[in-house]
Amino acid sequence: MLLKDYLQLNKISSKQFSRILKVSEISISRYINGNRIPNKRILRAIFKETNGFVSANDFLINDIKNIELNNKDKDDIRKLVREITLGSIKSLAKAITLVESSNLLDQKKSDFLISILPKKNNTIRIGISGVPGVGKSTFIESLGLYLLQENFKVAVLAVDPSSQKTGGSILGDKTRMERLSIKKNAYIRPSPSQGHLGGVTKSTRETINCAEAAGFDVVFVETMGVGQAETAVHSMVDIFLVLLLPSGGDDLQGIKKGIIELADLLVVNKADGSLLSTAKVTVNDYKNAISIINSARDSWKPKVEMCSSINHEGIANIWNRISGFIKERKKRKYFLENRINQNKNWMWDLVDQKIKNFIEKDIKNNQISYEIEKKLSNNKLNSINAANEILGIYLKNFK
Amino acid sequence: MAKNYTIDDWNKQAEKELREKKLSDLKWETPEGIMVKPLYTKEDLEGLEHTDGFPGLPPFTRGPRATMYSNRPWTIRQYAGFSTASESNRFYKEGLKNGVMGLSVAFDLATHRGYDSDHPRVVADVGNAGVAIDSIEDMKVLFEGIPLNKMSVSMTMNGAVLPVLGSFIAAGIEQGCSKSELTGTIQNDILKEFMVRNTYIYPPQPSMRIVADIIEFTSREMPKFNSISISGYHMQEAGANQVQELAYTLADGLEYVKIALDRGLNIDDFAPRLSFFWSIGMNFFMEVAKMRAARFMWSEMIKNFNPKNMKSLALRTHCQTSGVSLTEQDAYNNVVRTTVEAMAAVFGGTQSLHTNSFDEALALPTSFSARIARNTQLILAEETGITNVIDPLAGSYYVENLTSNIIKEAKKLMKEVEDVGGMVKAIELGIPKMRIEESSAKKQARVDSKEETIVGVNKYQPNEQQDINILSIDNEQARKEQVAKLDILKKNRDLSKVNNSLAKLISAAENNNSNLLELSIEASLNRCTIGEITEALEKVFDRHKPSSKTISGVYANSVKSSDMLSGVKKEIEIFKNKFGRRPRILVVKMGQDGHDRGSKLIATAFADLGFDVDIGPLFQTPEEAAKQAVENDVHIIGVSTLAAGHKTLVPILMKELKKLDAESIKVICGGVIPPNDYPFLEEIGVTKVFGPGTSIPDAALEIIKLL
Ligand code: B12
Ligand SMILES: Nc1nc2c(ncn2[C@@H]2O[C@H](COP(=O)(O)OP(=O)(O)OP(=O)(O)O)[C@@H](O)[C@H]2O)c(=O)[nH]1
Ligand SMILES: [Mg+2]
Repeated sequence: MLLKDYLQLNKISSKQFSRILKVSEISISRYINGNRIPNKRILRAIFKETNGFVSANDFLINDIKNIELNNKDKDDIRKLVREITLGSIKSLAKAITLVESSNLLDQKKSDFLISILPKKNNTIRIGISGVPGVGKSTFIESLGLYLLQENFKVAVLAVDPSSQKTGGSILGDKTRMERLSIKKNAYIRPSPSQGHLGGVTKSTRETINCAEAAGFDVVFVETMGVGQAETAVHSMVDIFLVLLLPSGGDDLQGIKKGIIELADLLVVNKADGSLLSTAKVTVNDYKNAISIINSARDSWKPKVEMCSSINHEGIANIWNRISGFIKERKKRKYFLENRINQNKNWMWDLVDQKIKNFIEKDIKNNQISYEIEKKLSNNKLNSINAANEILGIYLKNFK
Repeated sequence: MAKNYTIDDWNKQAEKELREKKLSDLKWETPEGIMVKPLYTKEDLEGLEHTDGFPGLPPFTRGPRATMYSNRPWTIRQYAGFSTASESNRFYKEGLKNGVMGLSVAFDLATHRGYDSDHPRVVADVGNAGVAIDSIEDMKVLFEGIPLNKMSVSMTMNGAVLPVLGSFIAAGIEQGCSKSELTGTIQNDILKEFMVRNTYIYPPQPSMRIVADIIEFTSREMPKFNSISISGYHMQEAGANQVQELAYTLADGLEYVKIALDRGLNIDDFAPRLSFFWSIGMNFFMEVAKMRAARFMWSEMIKNFNPKNMKSLALRTHCQTSGVSLTEQDAYNNVVRTTVEAMAAVFGGTQSLHTNSFDEALALPTSFSARIARNTQLILAEETGITNVIDPLAGSYYVENLTSNIIKEAKKLMKEVEDVGGMVKAIELGIPKMRIEESSAKKQARVDSKEETIVGVNKYQPNEQQDINILSIDNEQARKEQVAKLDILKKNRDLSKVNNSLAKLISAAENNNSNLLELSIEASLNRCTIGEITEALEKVFDRHKPSSKTISGVYANSVKSSDMLSGVKKEIEIFKNKFGRRPRILVVKMGQDGHDRGSKLIATAFADLGFDVDIGPLFQTPEEAAKQAVENDVHIIGVSTLAAGHKTLVPILMKELKKLDAESIKVICGGVIPPNDYPFLEEIGVTKVFGPGTSIPDAALEIIKLL
């Protein structure tokens, strides 16, 4: 934690602290303002006196943490936003990089950018999920090409998993939407998940906002369909599609009930060639399954459709379903209500994220945590008591 | 007195010599996963099923002909072609005067992909990596003064096989030959294109129909012509180990047999005219064993179809020494490598052979380097006495045991293919390609960590590089000439005949009711171009879009010492803390260059090192590449270029980036780029060039420094 915050929290004046450390009051105020970094001896003393709350790191990033965006930064961002709203793809690309950045200064800029970005409510956010290889990218390309013909502008946000081990990633989705990617009114942005769970990045919502501000009226979010991905994406979009493979009745048993509950539209893909007849059976199986299930949305029974993304068959029909759904939702005022819910979810996710960050950065790397862990190792504390102690520190600092 | 020693005596003796080491330390696990012992004995021959037999008789393990080289050596057949038909014609004639016995045509990439030379997507490809052929007129020039009823001609053509074979036959007819007199081979092996060679045009289904049409037509009308050359060569060059090469090639062969039988042909109508094509790398005994194993396995496989003609069981093959084993560094070493490989092909019993030139990793061969390559074979055939005895390695404890092991391993892999429903299905699922890419990543990891030595590259590097004269092609000029010839052709032909021919093709494609090769010959005689015929069929068949997956983790997991990687990972962490994200690179392939081994390797290895890696699709235009780079906001574009398109395409890319106000994106290049071109690339703004033999962790460190 910053020295300034620590002193304020614990109601210690710089004068008092200067006496404790046996340095001049001027020096303390310089440390606080970030005009000078304490030498090693003093750093150690500060560390000790603050029970490890203020460590060397806090001085190094002092300039960033404390910094308010200056006017030039703000002007730059205003200019970026202006360019985005004029449809500059390069600026949109830069803005997305900014909102995805883990750099603290960038995050400040990103917060400012999002706060001045025009918000759009006449767009359609479509979440696409399904097991790897079901044809999500191919489907999006096919539907995307169709929408371009209908004079829509289409953005696709695709999330690729970063390797747990090395952190690197392969962003290959665009290759699988080659025809769409070269179109003028389409924008495809693959993003590495960077260890963020749930099939999205930490900034997928911000990214959606940027794309909408740049004039894209349909935004697809493609995510790999594993684990909790469905819930995360579901809370960011206006309509949630789950793609399915044609398969016999037995396989249906294995399908997670949770997915069907969340889906607004189930699409059996690859309804072509030798799989066509199986696909028809699958559609019926799902229709039956749905009839006994409670949907996540009021007044809407999920629909089941089939298509062949590769042959562009059934795509127009699926668009009719989607736009029909949106129209209906708007008529009943559910659409905006849902957008407000999206914002609420967004808020809570941010709170979650920031608390986690605080714990990661300011508590975990800290002398006190180290000591608590040590007590735990020596059996002086059990896990529950240790956790409570950590939480105590957290509460004390966040009241 | 001589005592009867046993293997135990030897064990003891050997242990004594080894001191600290154990005998088991001397075992070598080959990349194929076969354990090779330091010593083989009589016992290793026990129970092997393939060892008996004679050359020229089933199961043909010892060779497809009874007398093999003792009567006539293999055919020296050098793969060549560049620039225009007339230039290549001159080159062929020079070769024929100096020992070459059969021709082998290398077409340029525009032709391979079915584009005429005036098509906008091929500005960088005309005449560069092979000879440009747009129509029967070019074909006639290519064989001017070479009688096609006498000369055996092999053609590496798969994607645009219909118009190219069509215009070849048409050129023969206009030379005055009959179809039945034509001898030679058409590669016509589309399955491995989808796997590794990347000059497909149509999707798998219609492509297989074309293959069947060709087998049907040639078996009826061209009895001396090999309808297909089932190729493992490109698999090994793309990274496959020898067992993979063997298994997947035989599995491909089986698919072709099946589609021909489905056409109602009798096995004996076509099986004797199937031929094979192997790559021969530096693992000498493995290669010999592979070739012998292949003959044994193929004969077993074909037996199931009950042929009456013994020739149906005999596997005949062409071989080429491995290009990928040759280095840019200390390039004269390549003469030695090629000699060793050529010997393996000969001991393996090849029917014809191409030897690579020492400038392989720099450019197409010059007439000097081509001469040395040719002479390598002439020396083997005429100075060594190797040819006098048939299958001289038969009975070698090691070679026979290895042969048997390869058969076992290959059968396992073929079983995997069979279990998913055959090779077409396996290719659709991407299984073989994935396995091959894994092998390629493992190989690179061995080289980068110096576990495997390459003289002059990762060990014994020379202090200075010698200057090597290379062939440089003026592709601008070649394209101009081709376009001019196309204009003349189009002015002088009967347009109604052209349209009629194309309409017939379209209808036959739609209704599946007549032979497409027959119609392509007619279309060629009527002066339809390669591009026109291709496009007509594309209207019905569509152009294939590959869906490519990239492996991950294999490179990092195969590196034995983790120090090599941790340096890079640390730099990336520092980068990330500073810039808020990982270095992001877009790996790009532009033009019709389908060499993707290097780009896929770079992509997977860089991701393993901690980069975020975007991958562009094959055959991108510079405009598309620049757009993708800007949209994805990458730090750097890595152009991988091997087919000599760099001098045309990279300048356009730089211009496109400028247009998009994105000059801050750095551009680097890798691949086969002659050192003489480095200054040119640097001048137009390329930050750095990484040539063949680049160590990936070194390159990664340098790149991070650039950003
Ligand atoms: C393997 C190979 C093939 C394979 C390709 C398999 C595949 N899927 O990639 C097969 C057999 C199919 C093939 C076919 C052809 N080939 Co070829 N092929 C080669 C060969 C022997 C090796 C290339 C290779 O893969 N090396 C291994 C990889 C790992 O190395 P690399 O790509 O160079 O990458 C390394 C560095 O360059 C660098 N690097 C590369 N890219 C990048 C990118 C970045 C960002 C970075 C940092 C680094 C980097 O790092 C890598 C690791 O060290 C070369 C000759 C040679 N020895 O280089 C000829 C060569 C490239 N081929 C050639 C030709 C002509 C062809 C054909 C066109 C022949 C024809 N007319 O039919 C065909 C068509 C193929 C096509 N579709 O384009 C010529 C090109 C001539 C020229 N440039 O003037 C060459 C040079 C051989 C020759 N001298 O004639 N080929
Ligand atoms: N026959 C058929 N194949 C399809 C169809 N849609 C997609 N495919 C194929 O299925 C494979 C996977 O398609 P993708 O679009 O990459 O699937 P994805 O769900 O995006 O895959 P990930 O991004 O890896 O999770 C590809 O080989 C496609 O060609 C279809 O409608 N019919
Ligand atoms: Mg996808």
